[in-house]
Amino acid sequence: MAYRIISPRIGALGAIYEPSEGINIDALLAAGFIEEIATSSPKSARTKTTTEAPDAEQTEE
Amino acid sequence: MATTTYLSSPNITINSVDLTDQAHAATLTVKYDALESTAFGGSSRVYTAGLGDHELTVDLYMSYAATETYATLAALVGTATTVKVKPASGANSATNPEFTLTGTYLEALPVMNASLGELSSITLTFKGGTYTVATS
Repeated sequence: MAYRIISPRIGALGAIYEPSEGINIDALLAAGFIEEIATSSPKSARTKTTTEAPDAEQTEE
Repeated sequence: MATTTYLSSPNITINSVDLTDQAHAATLTVKYDALESTAFGGSSRVYTAGLGDHELTVDLYMSYAATETYATLAALVGTATTVKVKPASGANSATNPEFTLTGTYLEALPVMNASLGELSSITLTFKGGTYTVATS
């Protein structure tokens, strides 16, 4: 979980908040000092795959 | 000249929140239980250090505005948190050490202390926790 600072009493506005040991995160969230920011795992690069149709036998008439 | 006069510099944070502008007194007492270790043959009582039992007492002006005193403390009472104090607001150094109590317990919060014609002020006591000093 990541947090963003939304009160200058914590630090620079907009900066990522990294809690040190013993910090009560719930209290900071409840009082509006920080907010949660969504963290999404980076998507892996999509590789283009081509599926080839099985070779059709060509017959000459 | 073994005196230190505090005018406006001391810095205090409670649960990461800088409440320096609301604080007007702070006392951090580092204490270890004295365990008597006097043995037969001794002519005086002697002691050895037991468990640490540190305590921070801080006086704050009360404010119910957003992100001020009450908002900072309301959810902390009855829980453990981290508090930091240092003599001045500059960088940590040997002459400006930062004292930290980690996992210190806030037992009580006076939610209102009103006297006619006076600024409302509260006294908090944080008990216990691990004591550390940072000089860099």
